[in-house]
Amino acid sequence: MKDEQTDAGTGGAVLPDRRLKEREEGLRLLVESVSDYAIFMLDPAGFIMSWNAGAERMKGWRAHEIIGQHFSRFYSAEDVAAGKPVMELRIATAEGRYEEEGWRFRKDGTQFFAHVSITAVRDAAGTLRGFGKVTRDITERMRTDMALRESEERFRLLVESVGDYAIYMLDPEGYVASWNTGAERLKGWRADEAIGQHVSLFHTPEGRAARKPQIELQIAREQGVFREEAERLRKDGSIFMADVTLTALFDEQRRLRGFAKVTRDMTERKRAEDAVRELNRDLELRVAARTAELSERNAELNAFAYSIAHDLRAPLRGIIGFADALAEDFADILPAEATGYLGRITAAAGRMNDLIEDLLAYSRLGQGEISPVRVDLEPLLRDILENMRTRLDERNAEVEIIRPLATPRAHYATLQQVVVNLIENAVKFVPPDRRPHVRIHTETHGGAWVRLWVEDNGIGIAPEHQTRIFNIFERLHGQGSYEGTGVGLAVVRRASERLGGKAGVESEPGSGSRFWVDLPAASERSE
Amino acid sequence: MSGPCILLVEDEPDDAALIQRAISKLPQGQSLVLRHLWNGDEAVAYLAEAGPSGSARDSLPDLMLIDLKLPRRSGFEVIEWVRGRDGLRRLPIVVLTSSAQQVDIDGAYDAGANAYLVKPSSPRELAAMLETTLSFWLHFAARGAIRPS
Repeated sequence: MKDEQTDAGTGGAVLPDRRLKEREEGLRLLVESVSDYAIFMLDPAGFIMSWNAGAERMKGWRAHEIIGQHFSRFYSAEDVAAGKPVMELRIATAEGRYEEEGWRFRKDGTQFFAHVSITAVRDAAGTLRGFGKVTRDITERMRTDMALRESEERFRLLVESVGDYAIYMLDPEGYVASWNTGAERLKGWRADEAIGQHVSLFHTPEGRAARKPQIELQIAREQGVFREEAERLRKDGSIFMADVTLTALFDEQRRLRGFAKVTRDMTERKRAEDAVRELNRDLELRVAARTAELSERNAELNAFAYSIAHDLRAPLRGIIGFADALAEDFADILPAEATGYLGRITAAAGRMNDLIEDLLAYSRLGQGEISPVRVDLEPLLRDILENMRTRLDERNAEVEIIRPLATPRAHYATLQQVVVNLIENAVKFVPPDRRPHVRIHTETHGGAWVRLWVEDNGIGIAPEHQTRIFNIFERLHGQGSYEGTGVGLAVVRRASERLGGKAGVESEPGSGSRFWVDLPAASERSE
Repeated sequence: MSGPCILLVEDEPDDAALIQRAISKLPQGQSLVLRHLWNGDEAVAYLAEAGPSGSARDSLPDLMLIDLKLPRRSGFEVIEWVRGRDGLRRLPIVVLTSSAQQVDIDGAYDAGANAYLVKPSSPRELAAMLETTLSFWLHFAARGAIRPS
């Protein structure tokens, strides 16, 4: 059904006489007040008949300056010479409407980019009464569009130039819509060969049989993105390990517009990873071999130390034995001085014997297997104090045991060595005028460790020496002041380590030392 | 008539001299006969002759004091040889060595030793050790009450 106001023949608006008058005034006011659009009338020959606020704002002329002038004022000299204004009116007359975008001039000579529409205005009888002209300044929009186009072009060039990644677009059905350099390099197909093909072209026959192409498009569609590391096919039929990301692209109405697909060739990385794994394996083997070699060396060294210490004893027995034989068998003819010298020989040899004994004890710690069991400290300490009674009494030493004592896992004889050495040490380094007081107690740490403390009221150890004292043959004092071989604490440390624990000390010069040994705790049930 | 005979097998001259001196100074020392041999081969040769079937039967020792680390034939081998020999099975064997290693102690007892002594550095300890050990084993040897093998 035809609209009564529409002239089907020309497509132009028809203004019936009877309504024109009624609406003229209101319409005129409305049009004149519009300031974002230049809206004005031309007579059939193209002379300006009306002028609104928007026209004045956009083009610069005031109504009285421009009404009556021909609208070609707004065109460049070239356009006018080419007959463009006239041609536009002709098209509008013939087709009812003419529309274009182009550069127009303002009164001050500056240009703006305009969207122009010219509509033929006819009366009820179909007679041309003039033209309605609406002009919009779209310079800003055009600039934005151009910037966007440029940015899109740059982005397209960037994507196309990426060589290490295949980046391409699929349409909503999964057909290739774009193809970059990387895609060509990775997969082998040129853009003209790939575009229009279905994405299943890149899948292995097995993948196609399992409907993988359809499945991954579906997942991307439903979840937005699909990722996998899997085999893909090249044009030459070879297969490569690909890292694939398929992203679904939706427009503002959440309509699927297609997919962006990024594929990376993992062959190189896989190869690098394999190489790293290979190197690691090699390194592990070498470390294992080196460790075995070291422990063999260590065992050799222990055996060596043992045999040295052992062989040193034989001549020492001779020295001690014959010195004693001399002193005893020739006591009546030896002058006192000679007997004194013999005493010195015996004492020196005795010190050497202690040293060898300690060395042997130390080297024996490195030999043989130790299997830790639950060791009750009560009987252990009782045995030790019994054995040390004479030495403790000599120094009038007091040993205080703070009960209850925790129960470690250890090896009885080895732990005995540790504690004996600690007590000896505690008693030894006390000034002669002070009564040695040794405190023994235990702590448990998190149920897993037992810390055995042996504390003394001795001379203490400066912080800088606290690590050194556990080294073998390390002595802080001259032979004259505090006797010792420098092996005792080395035995403590080594034995603790053999028992799966460690040893240390807290001390300050002048305020005694607190030696500790950490040992694995025995479990609650007896073993 | 001479007293009990002790066979000492010891390759270390100093140790041998000190042991001989210590034994000679024992209360029963004057009545003891001490024979000193320098290595395992000599010990085996001597005992082969001295055994019940040997040509020198009257020189059969009443006790053997033997070191383990000996040239040519080790103490272990000598002990094993003795224990495999008729008429010598009851000979008391006391090992006197410088080794305190468990493997040597176990090995000596396994071979058939009756006692294992570690050579002390102290001459007094050596003397005491020898006095008590020798009197014990010579007493039992005299009664024929030797550890069965």
